[in-house]
Amino acid sequence: MTFRQARWDEPMIWDLGPSEGGGPLPEVSGIPEKMRRRQPARWPEISEVEVVRHYTRLSQMNFGIDTSPYPLGSCTMKYNPKVSELLARRPGAAGVHPYQPEATVQGSLEVLWKLERILSRITGLSDVSLQPAAGAHGEYAAMLMVRAYFRDQGELAERTEVLLPDTAHGTNPASAAMAGFTTREIPSKEGCVDVDELQRAVSKKTACFMLTNPNTAGLFESDILQIAEVVHASGAMLYYDGANLNAILGITHPGRMGFDVAHLNLHKTFATPHGGGGPGAGVLGAGEKLGPYLPIPRVVKEGRKFRLDYDRPKSIGKIKTAYGNFGLDLRAFAFILSHGEEGLQHIARRSVLNSNYVAAKLGKYLPRPFRTLVKHEFVLSGTPLKERGVRTLDLAKRLLDEGVHAPTVYFPSLVDEALMVELPETESKRELDGYIAAFERAIGDSPENLHAAPRSCSVTRVDEVRAAREPLLSWKDLRGAAKAETP
Amino acid sequence: MARWISEEPGEETALLEALGISSTDALFTDVPKKARIGRMGIGPAREEPEVVAEVDRLLGRNKPLAGFSSFLGGRITSRYSPAAVDSIVSRSEFYTAYTPYQAEASQGMLRTLFEFQSLWVELTGLDVANASLYDGATAAGEALLFSRRLHEGSRFLVPESLPWEERSVVENYASGPGLKVEGIPYDDRTGKLDLEFVKNAVSKKDVFGLLADVPNGFGHVDDGVTELKSILGDIPLVVAADPLSLSVLEAPGNYGADVVVGEGQGFGISPSFGGPLLGLFACRKEHVRSAPGRIVGATLDSEGRRAFALTLVTREQHIRRSRATSNICTNESLMALAFVVYASVVGPRGLARLQSNLAEKARTLASGLGQVEGLKAPRFDAPYLSDFTIELARGSAEEFLDRLRRKKVLGGHSLRDPRPSTTAPPERILVGITEATSEKDVAKYVKSARGAVAAVGRSA
Repeated sequence: MTFRQARWDEPMIWDLGPSEGGGPLPEVSGIPEKMRRRQPARWPEISEVEVVRHYTRLSQMNFGIDTSPYPLGSCTMKYNPKVSELLARRPGAAGVHPYQPEATVQGSLEVLWKLERILSRITGLSDVSLQPAAGAHGEYAAMLMVRAYFRDQGELAERTEVLLPDTAHGTNPASAAMAGFTTREIPSKEGCVDVDELQRAVSKKTACFMLTNPNTAGLFESDILQIAEVVHASGAMLYYDGANLNAILGITHPGRMGFDVAHLNLHKTFATPHGGGGPGAGVLGAGEKLGPYLPIPRVVKEGRKFRLDYDRPKSIGKIKTAYGNFGLDLRAFAFILSHGEEGLQHIARRSVLNSNYVAAKLGKYLPRPFRTLVKHEFVLSGTPLKERGVRTLDLAKRLLDEGVHAPTVYFPSLVDEALMVELPETESKRELDGYIAAFERAIGDSPENLHAAPRSCSVTRVDEVRAAREPLLSWKDLRGAAKAETP
Repeated sequence: MARWISEEPGEETALLEALGISSTDALFTDVPKKARIGRMGIGPAREEPEVVAEVDRLLGRNKPLAGFSSFLGGRITSRYSPAAVDSIVSRSEFYTAYTPYQAEASQGMLRTLFEFQSLWVELTGLDVANASLYDGATAAGEALLFSRRLHEGSRFLVPESLPWEERSVVENYASGPGLKVEGIPYDDRTGKLDLEFVKNAVSKKDVFGLLADVPNGFGHVDDGVTELKSILGDIPLVVAADPLSLSVLEAPGNYGADVVVGEGQGFGISPSFGGPLLGLFACRKEHVRSAPGRIVGATLDSEGRRAFALTLVTREQHIRRSRATSNICTNESLMALAFVVYASVVGPRGLARLQSNLAEKARTLASGLGQVEGLKAPRFDAPYLSDFTIELARGSAEEFLDRLRRKKVLGGHSLRDPRPSTTAPPERILVGITEATSEKDVAKYVKSARGAVAAVGRSA
């Protein structure tokens, strides 16, 4: 174990300098008396270098892809090319205001238009909108489109239910429920959709079936064409959650598999950085039936000119300010140009090769609950660890001590003590072998050490139960707690 | 491309051999033949210099703001961001991280988000903020759903003056659960909310929340918002506030707001043609379990050191699934970092000075434009800060703006809803000021406006 994360005794920013007594606020004439702020907002006034040092130190207490492999299953943490960062900061990209006249933003519109056409080919769906800010946001917009479609068909009163497999990402049922649907989970058989169960579940009540393929167990749903038939025979829509598109780029696509509507995550498959939780960018692709319902505006090309088209009577309207997360769209565009047709398929092939290689090695230590041919990610069960009084969580924390990020844990929930590992195409064999060796050391360590992990991060095991039981959610709370302690 | 996927000699062969296969084809036997695709038609791979050249060629078709005197304003601004902000945001320990699920390895981002939450709490006068939402409009949409969890009813009130985009987004958050969004009329002279309308609406019992924006969609500060809570009683009051304005305006929590949302882009985030942006959300502590999105809490590590973690996760989609308070998974954490670095570099009084300077310039511009015949500037008789609304007596706003553009002036943006189905309102334009606005720019706008008003008046 040679890894040591920075461990700065860094104060909170408000402890770096005084946040009161700086003198009065400037007068702003005309502000109504009742609306005038009396005291400056409570926040420290410190020098720029102190602010820079503070956040630089905090950055050193954070894992990123640039510091270590980050094998979070279903998150596709691949290398974020630096050239994309360079381009997104060009004044012609970052400095453009969304309300500039169309004549002055022809370049930005062309980037959006071109990316939409490319993503239409990648998804096999005729119409694409880049407006959603994230995957879940795309799911929600799609559910609204499904509603609007069935309203126009006169079937909305009847079609009230969205079906999903029990392996679905939590965002799927949450998005469907937000859109006013009831949700029902279909039990899986050996990690995949049980088509007989699906057949029994679909009815005139079904509005949509939401599916991730490959699914969250890392398995390709090989019955997909049959699934599409069953869903369409009931008149319902088939939704593609694109979180796991990486594994099938250039091999198959949602359109060919029979999906009516899909979201993609540019921050997964197309390597835009995820920023510690966001921003993301969710792409919405739709076929003939749902295409007219996509959010406005749509980018259209007329001759050599590009224009924003708001004349889409069936559109659900807007789901976000402006036209989507352009900064990320541009990064994804550069990524796709760099790879080209063959390169995109190579992504799928290499990520699936990496995944199967690591799965085969780690399968010696922990059981693999389903079939062994996996796609870009795989699931292990940490159940045998329990015999030693160790849980999956302990193993995950112990892996941090090796200087690698932990896998996704306790998901999918149909696997007991699940670990879900994804090492995308940008990890070399050397990194994979390093990860395997780290895993071997971690799982072979004593229960005491596993329980005590991590020891090499900037803090030791964090008490998350306490965080939830006695919520301290802001500086204001901390001040309150300090006051309560000192009578 | 090669550099991003290892092509070390013998590497792929070694991986294949370890699996006992000769080609990656063997890894795709689970994809049925009928589901396979042929070529997608993407084109060949390009080397990095070619990619840079191609993207620069496309971006070169834009006409950057620097070439104009720009008066574009509203929720998205082109205000200056100190270089220190992007320097921190560019640290890849931050920007290449995922959501901080593993608290011990992610204290840097968790601490940052806790500081960000604290800052929004201080600005709003509320108790709890979340770790961000997508943008101001979706934050308003989430506030609608949040209000419905706190109060029965089917109608949510918003100002008629709310920007059309925001109204459309909020309606889309309402439409799923079958809720209605209704407009509150405003006074034609002042743009102030019609409080009598609110009183009447509330007396009908099925209002579950009200959103008021500060400054409003016309750029004006309406002190009527301070009276809303006494009308609403236990019905939640949502205030959508511009963060910079809060450096000089009363914290909405002090006049009864139960939720304060906002668009945070103006704090250190480039406009980037409209995204990424930053949605802000704060509420009262007693309602935190109904709040949407990620929340970071303070706790201790096993050795008693201060530590931070994502908390109250039982509200969230990955635990609660269809009964979650929101479907939020991705948020805008990196933008939250920019926001808190910006505010810390500028400082609370620095923000107030900036707001004061912008308001001063806005007044100069308004009085200049006010002299132009055929132009009502400002349209409403009410106080304003960085933005205000002007109105043409005759002719179309689009044509007026187009004529200004040819004089290298971007004179603001039309407040018209561009959807053809909507009825055309008066020809109003929102005008905004930034640090870059000089006296020369103001003079140029006033001069060009004279010509443009006359020209569009003739063609009307």
